[in-house]
Amino acid sequence: MANNRADLFLEISALLTGFNKAELQGTGMVATYYNTVANIPQDPNYSDQELAANEANVGFFFEEVNSILKENKKDESKLQQAIAGRLMPLSAYNGLAQSIITLWYTGSWGANVVNAQAYIQGLMWDTAEAHPPGAKQPGFGSWSFPPL
Amino acid sequence: MKTDHYDVVIAGSGIAGSLIAKTLTRAGKKVLLLEAGLQAGVALDSDGAYNNYMSYLDRFYNAAAKVPNSPYPILKDAPTSNVLDVVKLTPGGPPPPGYLVQMGPLPFASDAVRGPGGTMLHWLGTTLRMLPNDFKMKTVYNQAVDWPITADDLRPYYEMAELEIGVSGEVSEQTYPDTPAPKAYFGKDYVFPMHKIPQSYLDTEIAKGVQNMTVKLNKRQYKINCISTPQGRNSTPNAKYPYRDVIWNKAEKKLKLTGLLGEKYDYNPVPSIWDAYTGQRCEGNASCVPICPVQAKYNPLKTLKRSNFDHLTIITQAVASTINIDEKTKEVTGIVYKRYNNPDSPEYTTGVAAGKIYVLAANAIENAKILLASGAANSSDQVGRNLMDHMVMLTWGLTKEKIYPYRGPGSTTNIATFRDGPFRSEHAAWISPFDNWGWSWPVFSPGSDVSDGLAMGLFGKQLRDYLNERLTRQFLLHFECEQSPDPDNRVTIDHQYLDPLGNYKPIIHYYATDYMLKSMEAAKTVSDQIFAANGIEDHTVYNPVTDAGYVTYKGQGYTYRGAGHIVGTHRMGFNKHDSVVNHEQRTWDHPNLFLAGCGNMPTLGTSNPSLTMTALTFKAAEAILKQLEK
Repeated sequence: MANNRADLFLEISALLTGFNKAELQGTGMVATYYNTVANIPQDPNYSDQELAANEANVGFFFEEVNSILKENKKDESKLQQAIAGRLMPLSAYNGLAQSIITLWYTGSWGANVVNAQAYIQGLMWDTAEAHPPGAKQPGFGSWSFPPL
Repeated sequence: MKTDHYDVVIAGSGIAGSLIAKTLTRAGKKVLLLEAGLQAGVALDSDGAYNNYMSYLDRFYNAAAKVPNSPYPILKDAPTSNVLDVVKLTPGGPPPPGYLVQMGPLPFASDAVRGPGGTMLHWLGTTLRMLPNDFKMKTVYNQAVDWPITADDLRPYYEMAELEIGVSGEVSEQTYPDTPAPKAYFGKDYVFPMHKIPQSYLDTEIAKGVQNMTVKLNKRQYKINCISTPQGRNSTPNAKYPYRDVIWNKAEKKLKLTGLLGEKYDYNPVPSIWDAYTGQRCEGNASCVPICPVQAKYNPLKTLKRSNFDHLTIITQAVASTINIDEKTKEVTGIVYKRYNNPDSPEYTTGVAAGKIYVLAANAIENAKILLASGAANSSDQVGRNLMDHMVMLTWGLTKEKIYPYRGPGSTTNIATFRDGPFRSEHAAWISPFDNWGWSWPVFSPGSDVSDGLAMGLFGKQLRDYLNERLTRQFLLHFECEQSPDPDNRVTIDHQYLDPLGNYKPIIHYYATDYMLKSMEAAKTVSDQIFAANGIEDHTVYNPVTDAGYVTYKGQGYTYRGAGHIVGTHRMGFNKHDSVVNHEQRTWDHPNLFLAGCGNMPTLGTSNPSLTMTALTFKAAEAILKQLEK
């Protein structure tokens, strides 16, 4: 189970964000984000108990993802329903699915930007057919035309 | 510790300080520049400048809230205002935490950078001149005060400022209300150094419906005029631009532009401070505020770099505290500064910088603080008073068609219609820039749109589609209302409020007069008509609980925000009773003390103040040179 969590992470990230796996791989952020989610707090502010509870929560989340993907392999609409009902509510796994979406779209985990690349690779900028302010600049005068 | 004796001692390396340092050292004068910020920030060699600037950029990338000050170091020993500290004030309650001690009743909502290059590191780059009537508000509208100089007096200095900053724009498109046509106002053959920055796709789409539409305001009709905005960022050089430099003409005792209108000269955009091949054109980073990664946008370090370093000494990490004054002659004899090694430690050494002439160029709030702490220049009782900002009211909505914001410089087009008119005897004038960056300012889009989508239960393709539809249609309009000078909007000091070096923290008293509130009501009326006529779905919300700048007028609520235009705390005027400095920017009270910066402006106008302040600073530099060569 633990060994293919990274694969499960990519799989469920694509379903949660609406970006396909190749687009997500293209950001270069998959490994960083998997580590962000899976190893959450190396943060000294967390107590051992909190760390253990969190590790358990992440474990249950990936088990659930695994079952959802297996059970609904052949039926796209059932798959969507399962994600909506079993992962998306804030009450499910401490809102981990929503946090993963926010992570991909904004580059932030909780109140913090994961790192400079995370900000730059935020999917919300592609979604806006724009680019992150201060990076990936499109060149002189490009803004006077509709996006490519 | 006392320094060598210099011709001129300047406090502050923003555009005012840097420009005076450059102009004077190039005229052979010996200058000492004191700067409160870190040594690293003043590096002008390729490696040092690049590495330091990239550290700013990295700090910006990693900041959770990408506010104007987010790229720049926070220094305990040279603290500064931050928009993150601007919160709703409780009547009678203690002032909230932050550098500005906000006594209210309303919060002053603008910030500043304290460090090499100053606040223009994060300016937007708009370089509009003031209009003729802006200089005579009392005479024409019986409001505020007149300036002791006119638009015509300032014209040669505006031209110098437009060369110094490197303005891109089309003079022929600068049609303003109640102002002579461009050829008359700017001069028959005058052009800006570079052609205009291309206007955004959004501008073109919005202007299709807005240009020439009629709006009603207080029973009058106005035809809306959308024009391109001149900007201090690099674009395509204009082959007709003739000026090369500003030099001191010893014989005539004047600063002069070299080059003649009509002569041919290839203007070269001023590149980044680390590399001649970076920043020659705006590259569309869409992050002018808070940082242009390639320095295609002007910043004062470009001016500082062109100083004559044989004549310039810079002492950094030196916070100007007070000035010493000879009781008999009223001459200033030194600027007392506190120098720290570690910006987080309260340890410092005290120095006194000595010269023939002194210039405070530390920004409007800091200048006022230093003068108040020294009991200086205040026989008019105007020091610290008349603090002003553009009170910015924002309106936002969704367009029918996609307009693709979040691209290009912050603003490339403005509505000039309400910059002047008879209504100014009733309420403030304003300029309305179109904003190219979606709803990022009022509601922190696009991050907040992601949250909204999640709150609606969206994920996957549905979420992506929802965000695409929403983010590509976001339109934001500004109403930058000209705050009129009010003696009760002011900076004061008190021993209760000190920073770690024992320097005063500025205490701010601030409110909005009916003249301002009425302009917000009027601006909202105009916004409503523009939105309705163009099918823009209004999403504007002024929240009485969460908006720090929430105000009410005639039962309606409005929210103002700060424009970052800190102006007016040591006004220029006609005599020593009505003002702190004369038209040459010299204090009435001390023959060898000049003040530089936006604090000198008697009124604000509807233009962003940087260009006008730069023009005034050339005037100050000229007066200083004249005085030195007497």
